[in-house]
Amino acid sequence: MRWTARDGRSLAVALAYLAPSFLLFVAFVFVPLGRTIYLSFFFTRQNGAISTFAGLDQYTELLASPIFHSGLVATGLFVLYTVPAGLLLGLVLAVLLNQRLRGINVFRTMMSSTIAISASVGSIIWLLLFNPSLGLLNFVLSLIGIIGPQWLIQPNTAIIAVAITTIWLTLGTNIIVLLAGLQGVPEEIYEAAHLDGAHGARLFTRITVPMVSPSLFFLLVVDTIGVLQAFTQIHLLTRGGPVDATRALVYSIYLDAFQNFQFGYASAQAVVLFVLVLALTVIQFQVVERRVHYQ
Amino acid sequence: MSGAIAPRRRPVRPRQVVAYVVLTGVALLVAFPLLLALSYSLMPERDIVQFPPPILPANPTLANYETVLNTIPIGRYLLNSFVVSSAVVIGQLVTASLAAYAFSFLVFRGRSLLFFLFLSTLMIPWEATIIPNYLTVRQLGWIDTYQGLAVPFMATAFGTFLLRQGFMQIPRELWDAARIDGASSFRFLRSMVIPLSRPALATVGIYGFLSTYNQYFWPLLVTNQTLMRTTQVGVAQLRFEESARWGVIMAGVIMVAIPTLALLIAGQRQLIRGLTAGAVKG
Amino acid sequence: MRRFAALALIISFVAAACGGAPAGGGGTSSDQSGLAPGKDVKPAAKIVWWHAMSGVNGDALNKIVNNFNASQTAIKVETVFQGTYDDLLSKLNTALASNSAPALAQVYDIGQAYMRASGEITPMQAFIDRDKFDTTDFEPAVINYYKYQDKLQSMPWNASSSILLYNKDAFKAANLDPEKPPLTFSEVTDYAKKLTKKDASGQTVQYGFGPSIYGWLFEQLMATSGALYCDQGNGRDNRATKVVYNGAEGKAILDWWKAGVDGGYFYNPGIDNAGATNAFNAGKSAMYIESSASLRGSINNAKFQVGTGIYPRPDSKPATGGNIIGGASLYILKSRPAEEQQAAWEFIKYAMTPAVQAQWQSDTGYYPIVKKAYDEGPSKDWSTKYPQFLTATNQIRNSPQNRATNGCVLGVMPQARARTQKMIESVLLGQATSQAALDAAAADMNDQIDKYNKANK
Repeated sequence: MRWTARDGRSLAVALAYLAPSFLLFVAFVFVPLGRTIYLSFFFTRQNGAISTFAGLDQYTELLASPIFHSGLVATGLFVLYTVPAGLLLGLVLAVLLNQRLRGINVFRTMMSSTIAISASVGSIIWLLLFNPSLGLLNFVLSLIGIIGPQWLIQPNTAIIAVAITTIWLTLGTNIIVLLAGLQGVPEEIYEAAHLDGAHGARLFTRITVPMVSPSLFFLLVVDTIGVLQAFTQIHLLTRGGPVDATRALVYSIYLDAFQNFQFGYASAQAVVLFVLVLALTVIQFQVVERRVHYQ
Repeated sequence: MSGAIAPRRRPVRPRQVVAYVVLTGVALLVAFPLLLALSYSLMPERDIVQFPPPILPANPTLANYETVLNTIPIGRYLLNSFVVSSAVVIGQLVTASLAAYAFSFLVFRGRSLLFFLFLSTLMIPWEATIIPNYLTVRQLGWIDTYQGLAVPFMATAFGTFLLRQGFMQIPRELWDAARIDGASSFRFLRSMVIPLSRPALATVGIYGFLSTYNQYFWPLLVTNQTLMRTTQVGVAQLRFEESARWGVIMAGVIMVAIPTLALLIAGQRQLIRGLTAGAVKG
Repeated sequence: MRRFAALALIISFVAAACGGAPAGGGGTSSDQSGLAPGKDVKPAAKIVWWHAMSGVNGDALNKIVNNFNASQTAIKVETVFQGTYDDLLSKLNTALASNSAPALAQVYDIGQAYMRASGEITPMQAFIDRDKFDTTDFEPAVINYYKYQDKLQSMPWNASSSILLYNKDAFKAANLDPEKPPLTFSEVTDYAKKLTKKDASGQTVQYGFGPSIYGWLFEQLMATSGALYCDQGNGRDNRATKVVYNGAEGKAILDWWKAGVDGGYFYNPGIDNAGATNAFNAGKSAMYIESSASLRGSINNAKFQVGTGIYPRPDSKPATGGNIIGGASLYILKSRPAEEQQAAWEFIKYAMTPAVQAQWQSDTGYYPIVKKAYDEGPSKDWSTKYPQFLTATNQIRNSPQNRATNGCVLGVMPQARARTQKMIESVLLGQATSQAALDAAAADMNDQIDKYNKANK
């Protein structure tokens, strides 16, 4: 593979098209990331200035820290509680919405409304719902005979509460993307399946899921990244507590950088998070995408 | 006689009734938090703090909205959010169409590598870049300006990805024909690709608007003056010191959410069409 | 909320990266006049004041400023609301880095050490010494809080203190004297037991006592125990080198709290202050402890009579125990021209007159900094209307003045507060014993203080 003049020319043309995006990415993503990686090898002063070279000290301290370990567990649980449930719920609702009915758009809008809601606004509303004395959630549960937990006070329910909020916040996007996926499925496929006697659950698992698998895969990747970087919900609902139960990696970075002023240490965590996201995404592409059915 | 003549209105079948009931129930459940916010925004504080919690306002009042209007310049915040979000949308559409065009129609070495580089920006946590970015914006003298709020977000990997998928749906023959006619590659983009990709562009635009409008941390960081703040910062301001006035907070929440909800209602069909047209098929 | 301290301190990195290196605090010479602008400097025609007062408090603040602007023609004060205390502090840091700070800024209590260490303030003592300004009539507890090495750093502005709030109707229903609130830990526990009500299914419908897990409340309990929170005289004689709350007093507080929660008569609303207030207003808990600043909201919103009592203390009622004040104070910033600093000082003198202070009290519920204010009409009317507020004033007046009741100042105070919250959580959730949790928290904090002191010599 040798470079020819033609290669050079076509690359130059392409770069001209890519330049606006590329320059912005360099200025606001790549160079800042580089600075952060650089910082992770230094100890920093309270005010963020570099004090002494740390080498890999920040990383070794991090890997030995019990808070980091419990943070990884919290991050993992958060993803596990949020992503699969969000996808499943989104798919069920999208199928429900993919009917030819008068006024279906009203329902579509209502169910996808959360796409228009910011994480901060959504979290404030859920904070009220989870509120132990004013919150409606436990009151409604009590009406059907369930004694609701103190959602944000017990470690195991706090992470569920954050997950519920996150599922709700992403539900709108999931529904829209899956609905689009469903609408791209040719009618004939369903008709043929009907003729073959496929109904209900069978139709769902044999036809619907494979046909929208590209959309599902897309959401799997996007939602996982989104959850790994989710900050606002945790900040507004639990602030990483109780006793670090919801201190996901992304929140730990925030606390160490912006509350504890250990910017070098926080940078090291940011690098770890980046590597983690990258690895997960690559794995998803390697393992899951093989099962995706592209038309 | 039943079924003998096709009626103008089809009779509602039992199956449809069930569908409507289920849809209504589920829709109410999903939208419940929002509806509750609306309801609480109309309640006086005294009613909200009762147990069991009320659902509908017994004594509806607009007092909470009045408090919001008297507390923060919400009109100005809305204007700022609109200006910034619109600027980001326009910027993203330009940069992403150009990039997506290169990734879908042009053949060059290093294409996969560059495309991967683009996508990798999606995986970088914002904490990893926010402080250096703040420094950049400050050096440029962009604190308290619209460009400081908008420019860092004018490139979008997500939008580029989405548009590329849309562009790839355009038949290759069109491109070949245009080349034979001697059309420049840029003219082909302008006169063929863009008009044919309206749904995908609309999707990217709506998505860009929503995500910019809903930003909180960055606007908080780069604005010092009240007059340059955006809606999400305004809502946060409403979380008063030392006491939670839920009615007022919910009134603020509703006022801030109305524009994006309106956009969703107007653009929901486009959004779905744009995604159907390609995006999420490999 | 005060505990949102984390939110924006981002900027301090930024400030540093831009070369704003903090200098040491003021000297220890007896007279600080030299730090202030000369007495003959002409005040600037316009200054900006950043504040964090929203709602009714914001209106009250603007009223004072408008009156000041109307009372003379030389100086015009312009106010800018900067959000919560935390938002304001972060904004201030940004502004200091880019030289766009206001002349006057309102900063919360625990921002004190940070402000002093920043080297960006002209200590209030400098103006006081220069003008021989008389502060003998100032509320001692308040003014002492804002002193470091006996020099006043900032002018107290809005002062509150933590008190016990209780539901008088619930007291009557439980055959308790509604005019006699509990005082000691044991009394609170006894009352709480009597006030706890369960329904037929065994669900608790009303708890006796429901304090939120708020680090500030723990700091106050240490003070009423007469115990220090950090060393070096609570960081007031010299920069603190470690926290010392893990002694017998700290353990007694946590043991008491834990026993109440385990017994089912203390309610745990979590780390959310608003949650504790909501629970009280909704009748879910019959007593709780909070800032007197939240009292008015409860009086207005609760459908029962709200009573107030002084803050709980150990059964031994140590004579050295008392309350630390809360609230915020005003800082004059050194980076502004001498003329602007002069103008800011002129405004502060106006704001500290008894009439203005009485007005401020009656509009907000914060108590006056100047004792003479209580003789003014608005203050008297206020006390008649809301006698509950006198509890806060009296409690602060009756508090002995010593290092324990002055409260701890620490460069990492926001972190220390967050860490004690985690400590209390771990005890209430049964993850650690009181002593183990105290020691773990202290070890973490000492590590941080160490790092802070090394990095910020």
